Parts: sequence; structure tokens; C-alpha cells
Amino acid sequence: MIGLNHLSKHYGDTKAVDDVSLTIDKGSVVAIVGTSGSGKSTLLRLVNRLIEPTSGHVTLDGQDTRALPAFELRRRIGYVIQDHGLFPHWTVARNIATVPRLLGWSKARIEARVEELLTLLSLDPAAIGPRFPHQLSGGQMQRVGVARALAAEPELLLMDEPFGALDPVLRGKAQADLRAIQRTLGTTILLVTHDMAEAIALSDRIAVMRAGRVEQFAPPAEILARPATDFVRALVGEGERAFRYLSLTPVGSLAEAGAAEGAPLPADATAAEALNALIWRGTESLALEGGGRVTRSALLRAGHP
Amino acid sequence: MIPNRLALVLAVPLAAGLALPFAGLRANRIAAAEPVWLWQALGAPAAIGIALLAVLTVMWGRVLAAPALAAWLALMGVVAHRLTAGGPDFARVSPGAGFWLGAVALALLLADALAQRRPGPVARLTWLAAAWAALALLLQGWGHVSILQEYAARYMTFWAEAQRHLALALGSFAGAVLVGVPLGVLIQRRAGWRGPVMGTLTAIQTVPSIALFGLLILPLGWLATHVPMARAVGIGGIGMAPAFVALFLYALLPIVTNTVAGLRGIPASVAEAARGMGLSPRQRLARVDIPLALPVILTGARIVLVQNIGLATIGALIGAGGFGTFVFQGLGQTAPDLILLGALPTVALAFSAQVVFDALIDLLPGARA
Repeated sequence: MIGLNHLSKHYGDTKAVDDVSLTIDKGSVVAIVGTSGSGKSTLLRLVNRLIEPTSGHVTLDGQDTRALPAFELRRRIGYVIQDHGLFPHWTVARNIATVPRLLGWSKARIEARVEELLTLLSLDPAAIGPRFPHQLSGGQMQRVGVARALAAEPELLLMDEPFGALDPVLRGKAQADLRAIQRTLGTTILLVTHDMAEAIALSDRIAVMRAGRVEQFAPPAEILARPATDFVRALVGEGERAFRYLSLTPVGSLAEAGAAEGAPLPADATAAEALNALIWRGTESLALEGGGRVTRSALLRAGHP
Repeated sequence: MIPNRLALVLAVPLAAGLALPFAGLRANRIAAAEPVWLWQALGAPAAIGIALLAVLTVMWGRVLAAPALAAWLALMGVVAHRLTAGGPDFARVSPGAGFWLGAVALALLLADALAQRRPGPVARLTWLAAAWAALALLLQGWGHVSILQEYAARYMTFWAEAQRHLALALGSFAGAVLVGVPLGVLIQRRAGWRGPVMGTLTAIQTVPSIALFGLLILPLGWLATHVPMARAVGIGGIGMAPAFVALFLYALLPIVTNTVAGLRGIPASVAEAARGMGLSPRQRLARVDIPLALPVILTGARIVLVQNIGLATIGALIGAGGFGTFVFQGLGQTAPDLILLGALPTVALAFSAQVVFDALIDLLPGARA
């Protein structure tokens, strides 16, 4: 469990972060969403003490993080940034090995870990491991950045706009991969994004920030259904609310007995994807893989709380 | 085969080289030279043959530049041998304007031919070693050329001065790197120190070299008379010490400037990642900052090394020794061959240092990102 306790960071009269308290459950994904200048990146950097808070503190499994030297603390916390920041003079394998080497792992253990992570991120260890960062595509660099952050099995993974530099197609894929990896490893993730759709797709809870304060901290469904302030409502985007809501619902949960025409949809597709398929095919119901079907009325009903 | 544009341009000095006096014949080492043309030394048929070979070299410069340059140097030895055969012992044959023009044209042709191949660092080092070996071999045939006669008369002092020259240039260079890089790191971190440090170094750079030697004579002389230890290690108002200090001071500015520029060139995201991964300040410096800034730092170091090899010649004025000794002796005796005996090795050293350094920069892992 990670606790942010009354964290504040003031620069002169400006309150970049103003008395923020959040609790992040072990194994959960929390997204911090806000417009630029809302203090979300500053908040993230307070957690691994890249910035020292004016007041307040962070606890990691109940331990006050101020008890450790900052650089030792950071070795226990993974960190992914938008421009990935791979070390250009080191190979991919050496980049991923950064923190394990700092921690003095054995050579064999490091090699095994690097191979495991490259495989996990669908990168061929033999082909990609010996390359230098400038020989990789943007998507590959981003994945290596994630692998490097995960290398020493961190208790917490911080991600600052991790997919900001990717094109929309790659971003969707990277988000799905991250969700899958998070489920496999059970890593606790604190992620900063300005994209509400990304926050909804990835996280268990969302903290909406504005002018250094958290306006609402709640699961995505609740943020959509009951935005606490006008700012949150505006950020959610009323024009797309129903579709965002549908994107939270797995289509399997709306299944009923019966048959339908056409190719069956995977049961873990979202209701938003199902509605899209339904409209495009011009049918009343869709078959699901593993039996059953979902009807138009069930989908429409699922589009609001 | 159509020669490239540069080869056509170089055909002009090459032709001039053939047309101008190839050598100068003097009754003794300080007498005025009497011009000797190629056809006078070798006869008209041989001269026509050489001219035809020159045309072929322009046409097939990429292949023929290296053998042509070697042949041109060997030709000098042959001409000198012919002109002095049977003559008095103290007659001298020195290379003439034609020889130098032709040699420069062929060297440029060779440089272009090599550049066209885009050789890697190892290939460039191999070429350099081959060039030195070829030069050593060709100079065996220069026994009757005046410069080599000057060398033969003082080959013991030549190598002693070569050692002093290298010690002076390389020693002050090493000192400047050892001091300049940490100084650059320091002022990159403390913005307040940058102005004063850079200002001082720039001011030093503006002092003319001979004036700086003069300025150093007083404090170092004082040191030598008042601190017995200083005199014991060879510090004095004249000699090696002021030359060493002056070269060291001149070298600092480029090293410090390039260290600061190299550190500034590190992408913000990389610096952020290094902190975020948990590298301690010392680890960041040793594993990330310095390695990434190294190509730029080495570029500065290369400038300094070449500059120091050249500037070290001036050190001879205040008794520091080095190749400058021959240059100033030659000036004093109006013996141009002696001047060249000091100047040519200096140029060759500076050129070689540059090639070696560039190759080292390219050999750095990930440096070509």
C-alpha cells in the first residue's frame, strides 16, 4: 500500500501541489488526470523524491520514504517517462539491467531477468538485446523503457505520460500490453496522463487534479456517473460519456442465452466495441465466443449508470 | 574515366609543380639557391614520361594518388643524388617550389581518394601507420636531400628534441585534461562560477604566446630562487616550466568549454531517467554524464592536442627545447633546411595526432547515435 499524506510543493507563492492525500492499494492501477499545469507530474515526482515536498510525506508499505537516501528509494520504484530516456551509449540489455546492476545482482540473474522482460514485452532477446536505442522504433523504445523500469521488481511503478510519444495505433496496443503485464505481475502502478480515455482504459481508480488539488478520487465508473465538480464533468467530456461508460463494461457481462448471425465477438471485448460492431453490421444482436449473444437493447441499457 | 572536379582543380598545381623548378642547388647550406628544373636534372624524355604519368594520375586519382605521391617523394631523392654526384661535399640540393606544389597537390588528391572510401576508424589508423612506414622507407632514399643532411648532422639532438617536444605538448595536454574536465563539470553545476572561470580563461587565451612566456618568467623565476624544492624539480623562469604552464593555460579554455557543451548536450530525458533509476550523483557522472559528453570533450581535446603540438615550437624561444629549436636556429643562420627540419616533423605530428584522436572518438561505443 502506498500512502500520499498531505503532500504539498510550493514554489514561492505558487502551490504546484496543494495538500494531496491518496491511498493506492497494492496491485492496483491509479491514474492522475489533469490539464497541463495541474501539478500531476510534480505529484508523481514527489513520490520518488525527484522533487522534495514542501510538506507532507509518502509511505511505502507503511514505511516513511524519508528514512532512505533518495537514490536508494528510487531503485525500489520503477520510473517510465514520455521520452523514455534510454541511455544512448548502452545496449538495450544494458539499459534494462541498470537498476539490477546498481543493486548488485549476479550476472546470471541479471541476464535471466533481461531475457524474461524482453520476452514479456514481445521483444526478441537475441535480436533486440544487443542493439543500441537509436536502432529501435518508437514503439520498441517505449517498451524497453517499461522493461527497464520493471527490471528490479519494483514495489511501485511510476509512469509519466508513458504513451505520449506514440501514434494512436501503437498507443492502443501499448495500453493493452501494459494492462496484460500488470495483471501478470500484479505491479502497483501510478500513472500520469492528460487523456481521460487512457485513464479509463487502464486504471482502477482515477485522481482528477486541478491547480494542485485532487478534485475527485474514485473508480472510473463513478467518475463517469457522478463527476464531483464541473471541472471533472468537463474533463470526462459529456459528449462521449455513454461510450466511455460502455468501454468500461465487458460484453460478456451483458450476455444472454440465444443465437445470433455473424462472426462471434470475443467475450472480453468491451461493450463499446460490441455496439460499434452492431451498428456497423446493422444487426439486432451479436454472437459471442463461447456461446450466448448480446442484444442491442442490452447494450443501450449498459450505456448509462 | 572522367576525373572528378577536385582532381581537375588539382591538375593546375600539379602542372605548375612540373613547370616550376623541382629543386634548388646551392654551393653550400646558406648560399642562394640556383633553380633546377626536372628536365635539366633527368633529361627531356624522362620529364615527358613523368608529365604523362601526372596526366594518368589526374584521370585515375583514386587508384594512383598513393603510388604517385610515393613516386614523387622518391623522385626527389633520385634528383638530389644525381645533382650532387661527383660535386663538392658541401653542395646542397633542397626541394624547390615545383616539388612542394606537386607534393601538396598529390597529397590532397590522396586525401580526397581516401575520403571517398569513407574509411572506418580502424582503417584510418591502418592508413596512418602505413603512411608512416612508407615515409620512413622513402626517406632512406633522401640521403642527398638537404633536409636529411641537416638531420644527419644532428640526429642525436633531433631525437632528444623530439622527446622534449612530445613531453611538452603531451604533458601540458594531459594536465589540461585532468584539470579542465573536472573544472567544466564543476562550473556546469554551479552557474555562479561559470562567468568568472570562463572570463579568466578567455582573458588568458587573448594574451599572445610570447607575451605569456614573458609574463611567466617573473613568477616562476621568483619561485625558483625562493623555494628550493621548486628548483630541485626543474622549475625556473626559463626552460620547460614556463612553456609547460603557458601551454597548459592555453589548453584549458577549449577543454572546459567543450566539457560544458558536452554536458549541456545530454538530453533532458536521459538525465531525468538517470536520476529516476536511482543512480547516485557520482554514478550519474561516471556512467552517464561523462560517457555521453565524451565525444564533445574529445573534440575539444583534439583541438588542444593539435594546438599544443604546434605551439610547443615557440617554447624553444625560452629554452624549453623541442622542434622549435631547429626552427629558431635555422632562422638565425638563414638556413631554410634547418627550419624545415623543425617545421615538417611538427606538422606531421599534429596531423597524426588529429587522425588518431578522430579515430578514437569514432571508436567510442554508441558515439555515432
